[in-house]
Amino acid sequence: MSPDSSSGTSPTTVFPARIVHTIDPAAPTASAVAVRDGRFLAVGDPSDLVATYGGTIDDSLADKVLLPGFVEAHSHKDTGGIWQHTYVGYEGRIGPEGQWWPGCSTPERVVERLREADRELEDPDEPLLAWGLDPIFWPGERFDRRQLDAVSTTRQIFVIHSNMHLATVNTALMEAQGISPDTMAEGVPKDAAGWPTGELQEPAAMFLAGKPFRSFFGRLRSDEALHKFGRAARNVGVTTVTDLGTSNLLEESTVRQWLDVADEAFPMRAAMFHGAVMYAPDGDEACAAAMVDLKRKSTDRVRFGNVKLLMDGSIQGGTARVRWPGYLHGGPNGIWLIAPDQVADRIAPYHRAGLQVHTHANGDQAVEALLEGFEKVQTTHPMPDHRHTVQHCQMTSPGQYRKMKALGMCANVFANHTWFWGDQHRDITVGPDRAARMNAARTALDLGIPLSMHSDSPVTPIGSLHVAWAAVNRVTPSGDVLGADERISVAEALHAVTMGGAWQLRMEDEIGSISPRKFADCAVLEADPFEVDPMELRDVPVWGTMSGGALHQAAARG
Amino acid sequence: MADPQDRLPLTVVGGYLGAGKTTLLNRLLAEPDGQRIAVLVNDFGEVDIDGRLLESATDDVLILANGCVCCSIADDFAETLDSVRSFADRIDRVVVEVSGVGQPDKVAQWAHSPGFSPDGIVVAVDPLSIRDRVADRYVGDTVLAQLACADLLVVTRTDVAEPEALTASESWLAGVTEATVLRTPVPARVLLGPVPRKARPDDPAADHDHAAHAEQATDHVTISRVLAGPVSRASIDTWTRARPSGVVRAKGLVRVDDRPDDRTVLQVCGSSTTVAVDGPWDDGEDAVVAIALPGTPRAALVKWLNLLKGS
Repeated sequence: MSPDSSSGTSPTTVFPARIVHTIDPAAPTASAVAVRDGRFLAVGDPSDLVATYGGTIDDSLADKVLLPGFVEAHSHKDTGGIWQHTYVGYEGRIGPEGQWWPGCSTPERVVERLREADRELEDPDEPLLAWGLDPIFWPGERFDRRQLDAVSTTRQIFVIHSNMHLATVNTALMEAQGISPDTMAEGVPKDAAGWPTGELQEPAAMFLAGKPFRSFFGRLRSDEALHKFGRAARNVGVTTVTDLGTSNLLEESTVRQWLDVADEAFPMRAAMFHGAVMYAPDGDEACAAAMVDLKRKSTDRVRFGNVKLLMDGSIQGGTARVRWPGYLHGGPNGIWLIAPDQVADRIAPYHRAGLQVHTHANGDQAVEALLEGFEKVQTTHPMPDHRHTVQHCQMTSPGQYRKMKALGMCANVFANHTWFWGDQHRDITVGPDRAARMNAARTALDLGIPLSMHSDSPVTPIGSLHVAWAAVNRVTPSGDVLGADERISVAEALHAVTMGGAWQLRMEDEIGSISPRKFADCAVLEADPFEVDPMELRDVPVWGTMSGGALHQAAARG
Repeated sequence: MADPQDRLPLTVVGGYLGAGKTTLLNRLLAEPDGQRIAVLVNDFGEVDIDGRLLESATDDVLILANGCVCCSIADDFAETLDSVRSFADRIDRVVVEVSGVGQPDKVAQWAHSPGFSPDGIVVAVDPLSIRDRVADRYVGDTVLAQLACADLLVVTRTDVAEPEALTASESWLAGVTEATVLRTPVPARVLLGPVPRKARPDDPAADHDHAAHAEQATDHVTISRVLAGPVSRASIDTWTRARPSGVVRAKGLVRVDDRPDDRTVLQVCGSSTTVAVDGPWDDGEDAVVAIALPGTPRAALVKWLNLLKGS
C-alpha cells in the first residue's frame, strides 16, 4: 500500500546512532533516524525527533554507523544458492551463514576439503558437488580426476571451476555416466594413454556429467537458494540486489517463487531483470509486452519489468570483443552474443515500451556496437530519461563515455576487477596501459555520467564496501596501483553504491539515501567508512542491515 | 543411458544472418527425402510450413505429417536435448540451427551427449554478401571462423545470383576453407547423408529402394558396398587419405581388426572424416555408403570404397 494513503497513526521508532551518513546533500549527517511504516520519517537529533513525531527510542543501534542500505546493481540469484555446494576456491570466502571458508591454496587443500564434505554425506549415492576451483593459481601442477579419485573411488564428484565454464570430475562419475576413452567430444581432453583427464570444458561437455551436473544447477533454483542470497546480502550491508538476467521471468513459477519468498521478513529488495537474450522464444515484441504486464506484479520487495541483454563475453576469458590492438596475449577476438547489426532491433521493443535495457558489454568493441544501436533507437524513438545502462563497461574509452553521456546512458562499472584480475589484465589480457584505464569511474564521473559499481556476485563476492574500496584504491594483489588517475573518492564511491545504484534501477525516490519517505533501508556498520583509512574501507565491520525498518543482524563469523 | 546403437545423428547448420539457413531448414522439413528429421530452431517465427503438412502444434513443438518435427530451442540446450530424447524413437536424425553470430563447432559439441552422435557441420553462405561480411569490422572474424569450421558449405540464393557471381564466390570460398562446397537446392539425403539405422516396419523410408530412388531424383552419385568382414586399421587410414574430390557424405558401420567386437562408425562429411566406436557390434553386415556431387565418376568411388578391406 502506498504510504500516502495511510493516516499516519502507526507507531514511530527513533533509532539513535553514532552517526548517520544520509548520502542526501540536504542533510548529510544526523544522529538518529525516525522510522514509521517501514519508511524513514525524518532524520535529526533523537530528542527532537521524539518531540516532533512521538514514538519510542530504540537504542540497539546507538553505537553504530548508519548509511543507506547498499545497492548491488549487478548481481545474480546464484549468489546464495551456490553455497549449497562445497566451496574449493583459492581465496577465503564467507558463506551466507557466516561460516569462514579458508581458501584452498593448494591441490592438497582442495582434496582435504572434499574429503570432509564426502564424510558429511550420508547417502553413498549422492554426488559430491563443489565450486570455485581455480587451478590457474598453481600453474604447472596437474589437477584432474586422479586427485578427485583420492577423495572417493565410489562417490561421483563434480567440481565446477570459478569461471563456471569448466568442471573436473572423478573416475566414479565418468564410469557412471559413460565417459570413456571412446568419448570423442572436443571438450573432453585426454591423457597420453587416451583416458579422459576428468576435465569437462564448456556446457556441452559438462552436460556429459549427467545427473550430478543437473543436480548442481537444479539446486540453484530452490527457495533456500533465494534465502541464502538474502542472508549473503544482509551480511555485507546490501539491502537491494539485482538479478541481472539469470532468471526466465516468462515462467510463471519463477515469478511466483520470488513473490512468495520475498515477503516482509525477507531482508532485501530485488530488482529482477529478465534475461532477454536467452529467454525470448516468441521474439522481443512479445517479450516486451509480457514484461509490461509483469511490471504490474511488482511489490515493495520485488521489482519486475526490465531486461538484460548481452553483447560479448569476458576479458579474462578472452571472449570480450575488443578493438585494436586486440588481446595482449595474441588470442583471437571474443564472441558476439548479439549480432551488431541486430542491436537496435533487439533494444527497440523494450525501449518503446518504456522498459530499461541493461546490457552486458565488457570489451570496447562491444560498447561501440552497443552505442551505435542505442543511437539508432534514440534517433527513431527518442525517449526521455530512459536510463539504459552499460553493464561492466570495463574497457569503455573516454570518447565512448562522451557518447553515452550524449545518449543519456548510465554506467555500471565492474570496479572489483582491479582487485580480482588486475594483475592478469596488466600482464596477460590487455597490457599495463589499457589495464590502467579499465573501469574508468573517474572519467565517467567527470563527464557527469550516472555511475554505479558492482561485484557481479557470485563472480566476485557480494560486498559494496569491497567494491567501493577497489574503486577508491585500485590496488592489485601484487601491490600495484593500477590507474591511479582513475581513482575516485570515498564519498564518490559510497554515492555510487547507494544513490548511483538506486538511480539506475529507477528507484532513486525510494532507496539509495536516508531521506524522508524512502524505505527504511540501512547498512548498519561498526565503524565510519568516511573516517577509516581508505585502504581499510573494505574491512569496516558490518553489523547487519535495516530493511523496511526491521533489523537483520549479520551472521556471526564461524 | 540410451542404447549406443540408437544414437541420433546430429547435424548443425550455421551461417551468418541472412545466409539462408532458414530457407535450408524449411526445405529439409518440407522435403525430408524419406527421413524423419527433428529440426531445432531458435525462432519459430521463421519456420514456414505448409499448413496441410502440419499434424499438430504446441508452443514448443510442431509435428508434421511427413514424420518430421520442428522444435524451438529452449533457454537451456540440455533441456532441449532431453525433450528430443523423449521422442527419439519417432525420428531418424536431428538438425540444429545455430544463431547468426554463433559458432557452429561449439554447438556441435553437444552432439556428443548421450543419445546423439555428431554428424557434420553445415554452414550456409550468401554468395552475394559473403565477401562484405568477411570484411566487416565487427563480424568479419566471426564469419570467417564459421566458414573455417564447416565440413560442408552450402551456397544459397542460387536462384537470384548471376552464374558468374556464384562461381566467383565459390572459388573465393575454396581459397579460404577446406570445406566441400555445394549449391542449393541440395536434397536432404545428400546434405545430411544416409541414415545408419535399420529401417523399422513403420519407417516410411523403408518402402522404397533408397539407392534407386536417389539415382532417379538427382544427379548425385550414390554407391554402397557390403564388406566381406572386419577391415584393417591400416586400410581405414589409407581410405581416409584417398577420399576422391566430389564426395559429400559417406557412412560406414564396420568392425575393425583391432576391435572386432565393437561397432566402428566411419563418417565423411565434406572435408572431415571421423572414425569412432559407438558400441558393441550388433551382428549386422559391415557396410559403407558414399554420396558424391553430380559428375563424380562412379569408378572412382568404387575404387575408393574398395580400399576398405581386411589385412
